[in-house]
Amino acid sequence: MNFRITRALAFAAVLVALSSNRATAEPKLLEPERAFAYSVQAVDAKTVEARFAIASGYYLYREKLKFTVEPVALASAPAFPPGALKDDEFFGNVETYRGQLAVRLPLDGALPGLKVTVRAESQGCADAGVCYPPQVQHVTVVLPAPGGRPGAPVAATPAKKSWFN
Amino acid sequence: MPHLFKTRRTSTWLAFALAGVLALCAGLYFGGIGEDGNVTDLRGKDAAMLFGLALPDTSGREQSIGQWKGKVLVVNFWATWCLPCRDEMPEFVKAQRAFGGRGLQFVGIAVDDVGKVKDFAAELGLNYPALIGGFGAIELSKSLGNRLGALPFTVIVDRSGRVNHTHLGPIKEADLNAIIMQLL
Repeated sequence: MNFRITRALAFAAVLVALSSNRATAEPKLLEPERAFAYSVQAVDAKTVEARFAIASGYYLYREKLKFTVEPVALASAPAFPPGALKDDEFFGNVETYRGQLAVRLPLDGALPGLKVTVRAESQGCADAGVCYPPQVQHVTVVLPAPGGRPGAPVAATPAKKSWFN
Repeated sequence: MPHLFKTRRTSTWLAFALAGVLALCAGLYFGGIGEDGNVTDLRGKDAAMLFGLALPDTSGREQSIGQWKGKVLVVNFWATWCLPCRDEMPEFVKAQRAFGGRGLQFVGIAVDDVGKVKDFAAELGLNYPALIGGFGAIELSKSLGNRLGALPFTVIVDRSGRVNHTHLGPIKEADLNAIIMQLL
């Protein structure tokens, strides 16, 4: 019995090796918009929250992260949470984010029911050893009434319809 | 007894079939069959598009890629803001020094601005041309098979002007040298 299982497992191992031969040399990488999934939620009549769900094994640079809003303006500079420090020989210490990142953006001149477009510019890399060029994404949300319920989060890229993702 | 034997054989067969299905699923999930999914395989394709191109070097002079036709050409798309790109460049400097005399030519295309490229090239002691492509170079790399538009991306072209190898991510020194030796 044990022998049979061992033999079947060995057979499985050979098949895995054959069917993913080149993947062992190059790990399969995500499209940038999926590695750094951007979404925005209208929190209240004067605040939106921009979020990045950063896939495991990927990171974003804080210094490259920029948010702008239209047609209103930002009431103050967004408060970024502290990131992890990464030492870079050429650029010195740089701050990076992994996992979930949420940045609240206080709006100036906002009105309930107003459609606000939140533009994010971001740049990140994968631990596998590649970097993505800066990408710009837009999400439009509707501001709730004062004291009203926050809006639902709106994703920049709809979830992929696939068995495996 | 014969009945028991038959059951045993059936279950062995089932174990193998199940293992096979699971393994194929794992293979598809982790890499796809036959292609790694990160780059479009352009092996054997004519690199005419690349040879028709001219980009400024760090002193602002236009350099035609066509001037290196007939050599074993390694075109590396990189940027100073890409740490894995910078990390592998000393290897390229070494290979250029070792095999330049035998017809190997590295050319860097930077997705970057000239000031940063100049600084980094000086710091590293770059011994091959660094051309300035700006962000437009990402589109160029995509047309050479870089589906994700990520960096570093390297294209190796043989002496007859055909794409021999495309690679996304750092190339292992041993792999690079093996390819170069085969083409020189």
